Amino acid sequence: MSDTRMNDSMLFRFIDSNTIESEKIIAPRYSYWRSVFRVFFRKRINIVLIAIFVLIFLAAFIVPAIAPYEPYENITNALTYNLSPVKAQEYFGGFSLKWVLGTGGMGNSIFYGIMASARTSLILAVICATINMSIGILLGAVWGYSKRFDQVMLVIYNIIANVPYILMISVLVYIIGSGFWPFVFALTVTGWLSIAYFFRTQVLIIRDREYSLASRCLGTPIPRMISRNILPFLTSVTVTLLATELPSYISMEVFLSYIGVGLSADVPSLGRMIQEAQSAFIVYPWEFWPPVIIASAITIILYVVGQNLADASDPRTHM
Amino acid sequence: MLRRIAFSFFSLLVVVAVVMLLVYSLINRNVIFQMDDTWNKKSSNDRLIYEYTQYSRYGYLEYTDYTSYLKNKYEPLYGSDYTKNADFKADKDAVQDENTYTENASVQAFISEYTAKGYEIKYLAPDRSKSGKVKSGGNGYLIAIHERNVLQRLFAYMGNFFRIETTNDVTDPALTERYVRVEHDPYSGLFAVVGSGTTHKYLLYFDGRFPFIHQNWISINLGTSYTRYRGQEITTVINRPTGDQIKTRTQYPAQLGTDEYIESAIDFHSLTYNYNPRTKTEMKQFPDQYTSYTYNFSGLSMLENSFVIGLIATLIAYLFGLPLGILMARHKDGFVDKLGNLYIIFIMSVPALAYIFLFATIGTTLFNLPYKFANAEVKILAYVLPTISLSLPHVGSLMKWMRRYMIDQMNSDYVKFARAEGLSEGEIFSKHISRNAMIYLVHGIPANVLACLVGAIITESVYSVPGVGNLLTRAISGHDNGIIVACTVFYTTLSIIAIILGDLLLAKYDPRISLSDSKGGGR
Repeated sequence: MSDTRMNDSMLFRFIDSNTIESEKIIAPRYSYWRSVFRVFFRKRINIVLIAIFVLIFLAAFIVPAIAPYEPYENITNALTYNLSPVKAQEYFGGFSLKWVLGTGGMGNSIFYGIMASARTSLILAVICATINMSIGILLGAVWGYSKRFDQVMLVIYNIIANVPYILMISVLVYIIGSGFWPFVFALTVTGWLSIAYFFRTQVLIIRDREYSLASRCLGTPIPRMISRNILPFLTSVTVTLLATELPSYISMEVFLSYIGVGLSADVPSLGRMIQEAQSAFIVYPWEFWPPVIIASAITIILYVVGQNLADASDPRTHM
Repeated sequence: MLRRIAFSFFSLLVVVAVVMLLVYSLINRNVIFQMDDTWNKKSSNDRLIYEYTQYSRYGYLEYTDYTSYLKNKYEPLYGSDYTKNADFKADKDAVQDENTYTENASVQAFISEYTAKGYEIKYLAPDRSKSGKVKSGGNGYLIAIHERNVLQRLFAYMGNFFRIETTNDVTDPALTERYVRVEHDPYSGLFAVVGSGTTHKYLLYFDGRFPFIHQNWISINLGTSYTRYRGQEITTVINRPTGDQIKTRTQYPAQLGTDEYIESAIDFHSLTYNYNPRTKTEMKQFPDQYTSYTYNFSGLSMLENSFVIGLIATLIAYLFGLPLGILMARHKDGFVDKLGNLYIIFIMSVPALAYIFLFATIGTTLFNLPYKFANAEVKILAYVLPTISLSLPHVGSLMKWMRRYMIDQMNSDYVKFARAEGLSEGEIFSKHISRNAMIYLVHGIPANVLACLVGAIITESVYSVPGVGNLLTRAISGHDNGIIVACTVFYTTLSIIAIILGDLLLAKYDPRISLSDSKGGGR
């Protein structure tokens, strides 16, 4: 061979592995949840609404914790009944937050009342939504995946879906009593079923997509298929559902307590406050509108924020 | 399709069975006496006996007592004056002595007869004060009871659900003629189907009251109210007209053709058989034993009130909701769309209670409309606010879905093709997209119409409308198990029928959908 032959040291050269270049990643950094919140907070209205909600939320938990609501504290003193905000301030001597919204039909503080009731509603909504959503999603995923389970569940669903929801809850509350926990039971004992059915349909749609088929061919076990292939795809749908479920429990509580089949009298409730004040809603508007407004404010904020979060959690909006 | 219907009614049966099981086994049965004045007035043994008779009336148990046993024994022997008979008196008084009552032959016969039938014999010893005198209401009783289980009740309830009148309904041996025939009806001037031996005289007839043709042949029996409308049949309660009696110039059946006229509100089409022999005046007025009647009223019944309000509200909702939804979709992201969305968000998120009161406030202060139903001077105005309050949320939900489906359809190939063909936007929207978008909404129409029969709970309670919407809630607060079971049956049946009708309508509207039981169809 000739001397033109090149050796390795002529063809290759060593480079330093610690150069700054190697640290650079060509693809842009993408984090799903960070993008969700970036899109979400791009809308200024969301920040405003969340701020109001945090305010209500904190007030609903702090006010009853510091000063418990005592509806019967002035029951013996008829002079304190149905006082307007201004008169209540005068009667109880000077300004106090307690009487800022006047008094109710039993000399009770309206402000403390709506705060304690708002706390009940918020706790109720969160508990019911957690129970119904988790049972609904998990069972719905299995329901959509297993054909044998599907047959059994469809029969159960078709039977229960025929019964009007209001009827079911009213009868359940009538039978098991009307405390806080019986009420939670009534709202959750069949409440998960429609959520599970909704997820079953969604899972059915995704189950037979190509990437799922490929996964199945590779022998991925079903729990892993559900948790990795299907549920992440349903994030946006889940948030949308949560955005309608959370306020719906508050509306449901207000409605049922109003018609007298909801929470028992010892649990402060927005629905019952409205019911008690409704006969005099023209004469004593300060007793009637605060619980209505607070219930509406909570549900509107939860609904709008939830819908916007659902929009933001759809990856197609992240561009 | 047949399988579907069969399954639906199977599920109805399951639901009713479950509710009956829960209501009749978990709810303490004595809650029905909470607001009962008769019960409050009675004391001691009389109260217990009253409880048993009420339980037997409402189907909890079968009950019989020694006195009625004696009546059956002595009445055939001594006629209607049997109570004056010495043997009867001796047998009857035997139970008033707790030490010797078992020695009486009739008592022994009663006990052995009902023990053999599986009854439980209960002896309520006379309730005596310290001096030995019987307290008021403390007479001794001998009774036999037999508890019925829920399954028996369920079958009894289902068996009595439809009642069909036959010529053997009247058990009076005095009735000789039994027939059903078409006759000239002097009250309407047309013809009517008239029965003898049936409970009602007029089985099918016409009159001036909506829906103009009426029948008494088949009636539905939803059961009896326990506490709210003590002992009355629920179908009667919800169908009973309210308001004032309407007096007209009319004639008694036996005086037709004479010049004896009366000013009366009697509805002669409602004649039913009366077992009591006619009095002298009744002899002159009626040609036969059909002498019981009801009156004509000016107002609507509870069911009609709810249905009228609901139906008009549904019509308004479809008349406004669909076009508004189409309009929003056409001007997507425009001003109309934004305004509409604001309304939709408001309706969807705010509790129903809040916006109904808002509408009530606006209606009463700005438009001076009557607030409470009963206070309205012009009756028709009383219907305005409830109807509007009921339709506005409905409009919102229809707008929302119509807009959603329209937008989904707008990017379809057939729309692009229609555009390429040169059709105008208006034509594409009204003739192509909206008709396809309607497919999704057609299914809900029967449900919306039938839901009117259930009434609107909040709307009716806010405006105090005498409707059926509060039947269930009032039954729950009054512990009225009868109405609760009836409501379950009524509501569930309606919802099942609504779903089936929705499927049929959908198949009619969209020829691609088939409801046959063959493969691929059915569900």
